Amino acid sequence: MSRHQYLARRILLSFPVLIIAGTIAFAMVYLGPIDPVVAILGQQYTPEAAAQIRENLGMNKPLWGQYINFMTSMFTLDLGQSWVINPGQSAKNVIWSYTPRTIWLGFWAVLVPLFIGIPMGFYAGLNSNSWNDYLTSFGGIVWRAMPNFWLAVILMTILSKSDALFGFDWAAWLVPTDIVTPPDLAFLASPADALFEPASFWWTPGDDGSFVGALKQILPAALVLGSASMGNEMRIGRTAVLETINSNYIETARAKGLTRRVIVWKHVFRNAMIPLVPIITSEAYLLLGGSVLVELVFAINGIGYLFLQSIISGDLPLAGTLIFLFSVLLIVINITQDFLYTVIDPRVGYQED
Amino acid sequence: MGVSHASSTKSHSETEDDRPLRARIRENPGPALRWMAGMFLLFIAEAGALFQTIGRLLVAIAENLPGTPGIETATWLAWKAQTVPTLLSRETIPNQGHWNGSEWVGTFAGLEPAQAWGLRVALIYLYSCLFVLALWYGYLTYRSAYRTMDWTPRDDQLRRLRHNNWGMFGLTVVILFLIMAAFAPAMSPTTIDQNIQEPYSYEISYWNDDLGQVSTILVGDANFQSVSKGNPDQNVGIMQSDDFGRFHPFGTMNNGKDLFTIIAFGSRISLFIGVTAISLAGTIATLLALTTAYFKGLADLTVVLVSDSIQSVPSLMLLIAAGYLFSDTWVATLYDGAVLLALLFALIYWPGMWRAIRGPSFQVAQEEWVDAARSYGQRPLRLMRTHMLPYIMGYLLVYASMSFAGVIISTAGLSFIGFGINAPTPSWGRAINAGQPFVAQASWHISLIPGILITILCVGFNALGDGIRDAIDPESESHHGEGGAAGGGA
Repeated sequence: MSRHQYLARRILLSFPVLIIAGTIAFAMVYLGPIDPVVAILGQQYTPEAAAQIRENLGMNKPLWGQYINFMTSMFTLDLGQSWVINPGQSAKNVIWSYTPRTIWLGFWAVLVPLFIGIPMGFYAGLNSNSWNDYLTSFGGIVWRAMPNFWLAVILMTILSKSDALFGFDWAAWLVPTDIVTPPDLAFLASPADALFEPASFWWTPGDDGSFVGALKQILPAALVLGSASMGNEMRIGRTAVLETINSNYIETARAKGLTRRVIVWKHVFRNAMIPLVPIITSEAYLLLGGSVLVELVFAINGIGYLFLQSIISGDLPLAGTLIFLFSVLLIVINITQDFLYTVIDPRVGYQED
Repeated sequence: MGVSHASSTKSHSETEDDRPLRARIRENPGPALRWMAGMFLLFIAEAGALFQTIGRLLVAIAENLPGTPGIETATWLAWKAQTVPTLLSRETIPNQGHWNGSEWVGTFAGLEPAQAWGLRVALIYLYSCLFVLALWYGYLTYRSAYRTMDWTPRDDQLRRLRHNNWGMFGLTVVILFLIMAAFAPAMSPTTIDQNIQEPYSYEISYWNDDLGQVSTILVGDANFQSVSKGNPDQNVGIMQSDDFGRFHPFGTMNNGKDLFTIIAFGSRISLFIGVTAISLAGTIATLLALTTAYFKGLADLTVVLVSDSIQSVPSLMLLIAAGYLFSDTWVATLYDGAVLLALLFALIYWPGMWRAIRGPSFQVAQEEWVDAARSYGQRPLRLMRTHMLPYIMGYLLVYASMSFAGVIISTAGLSFIGFGINAPTPSWGRAINAGQPFVAQASWHISLIPGILITILCVGFNALGDGIRDAIDPESESHHGEGGAAGGGA
């Protein structure tokens, strides 16, 4: 099987997967042990209101009709409406209004580990079997094993008491910010300011926040959310460097008299990056799932927080929509990863049976 | 190469000595009898605890079945089991007593409660070490006296694991955790009834400094006066005793309950969920892997689709949603939600496990001896069991060990936000949640200790997984199970 065929097969296979994932979401909302209408109304349950909602949700139709309705609204990204969180609003609007903060969090949660984990892994690989290597590797393993939600609690508390504990006030540092707070992203609304009013865009925390302020607000959460990825990237980076450094072409490069610096930067690092690229995309899985707990602890009202709220308040249709959307995201990420694999490593596909 | 050897010894054994193990023991009973005598002594020491656990389990099962059949018999058995003496119990080495002005009353040999408790825990660990050693000795006896083969690939794998420090570290951590879970009632400084279930039904005596005499107080009231609420004068920290002479190895909770007892019983429930979920998921994964590797084609494609779909739903969200949806059903009442959680974890984890052993299964299905067995007319089921299963077992163990860490983290994460295990059954995540306001104050132990224990335990499970992988496949540096280790981001 050529790699193009392999990729084509992966894409083709993702359609039934999408349909099954949608069916899971449908089953949760409409076939679960809890009636969505009862959940939506909660304390305010009256037969009239219930009948009204039942009508709106299309629950008077036969089951297959409901199923087709649900699936069409999912696949056309119509997504229905929110019932409890923001009554009457379309689910799309509600989700969109929560999305930017999660993207901001996810962006930094991917980027921060990249700039900490990979250099540390490369460093450990270059100095393998030294004390620094053991320390870094062990630190990475422990860092990876710590529960995110626990790490978040500890970090949050330490930062809010940093003045008393270390004599360094995190909240007042650089730009005064709160610690348990959603990042203020209003400054992104006028991207032109980045050039024309750099002070207010990058620095000054006015009514609309600033780049530095929002970054500082999201940094602890991003560090926690990226902790597992950081450990993985470190470990794989270390192995990759070790494998490359012992390969024949490095030996050749050394034999023809290249300096250590050229060998490391030009030959070792570039080749060691290869196994890391797909790892980075696969971390997205952890980021999506983990956002629920981390957003809760740091009070960031993003998508994960919205999901938890929709479950707690009984907004089942919204929760089902979110589950479906997250599944779509994961499937897209998986295909992207396979695509990157085929680009980077031409052997992929030939090994499959 | 190891596996090809196994097949040759297999045919070897069939010609040489194909009698069942029992016949071989009857022929040379010495080593087996010696081992069994040792095991019997170990069993006698703890017979009471074992019977009591079985009794309680029977009562719990009878209570949860519709119509509660046989509840009387079960209760009677459980009550009868209380009379069987146990060496390592709070009755034999009591740590709960009071100071009467000149000496400790009610504790073991008049020791301080802390010392009595320490002695009991030390003895428990000593006993457990003996037990583990006895099991290992039993295996060695089997190997030298009763096994027909001189050598199997397993021997090499075990040797490699034994010389792998990192893997042995993991195994040690895991065994320590198992001991804690198994001996939770004997190890905790107070009983679960007194501590959590009915603190107002028990009365304790203590030395009243103000009156200069021994007074009595309800446990609930005593708890109320030994809370850990952050400020130093309202805190019972690690290795401290409260005003009522009760020793708290890990300090008290914010409601005055003993944290160690909660952790010990919480480890039981984590272990239950982990074992149930992983063995269920492992069984599903193995059955599917063997079937798909043997039949290939459509069977494989179907399982690929189903497993991809399950994996495409973020696990934590699935757990939260399912936890809410099933909150009012009878499944959620079983073991305060632990059974439901275990089933959900099994559903979520089998695709990953199947993926991890799919490659090895396909490999072994292409081996010549599988073809040979097939052309010999061996039935698929038997063929899979005898010729394919042993080969993929190791890979399954690697992933199982790493998934265990994920299950424990996810369980804690769920109970942290109030899903999963319901009160009153203790859970580590709920303890972390309760201690959240006091992390930077004197009562930091409430949140920090459970978190540190989870971290150590997960490092242990990952290390064990690494160790097994290096033992079964020394060449590989694959990255199976990296995701499973992180518990879906909890």
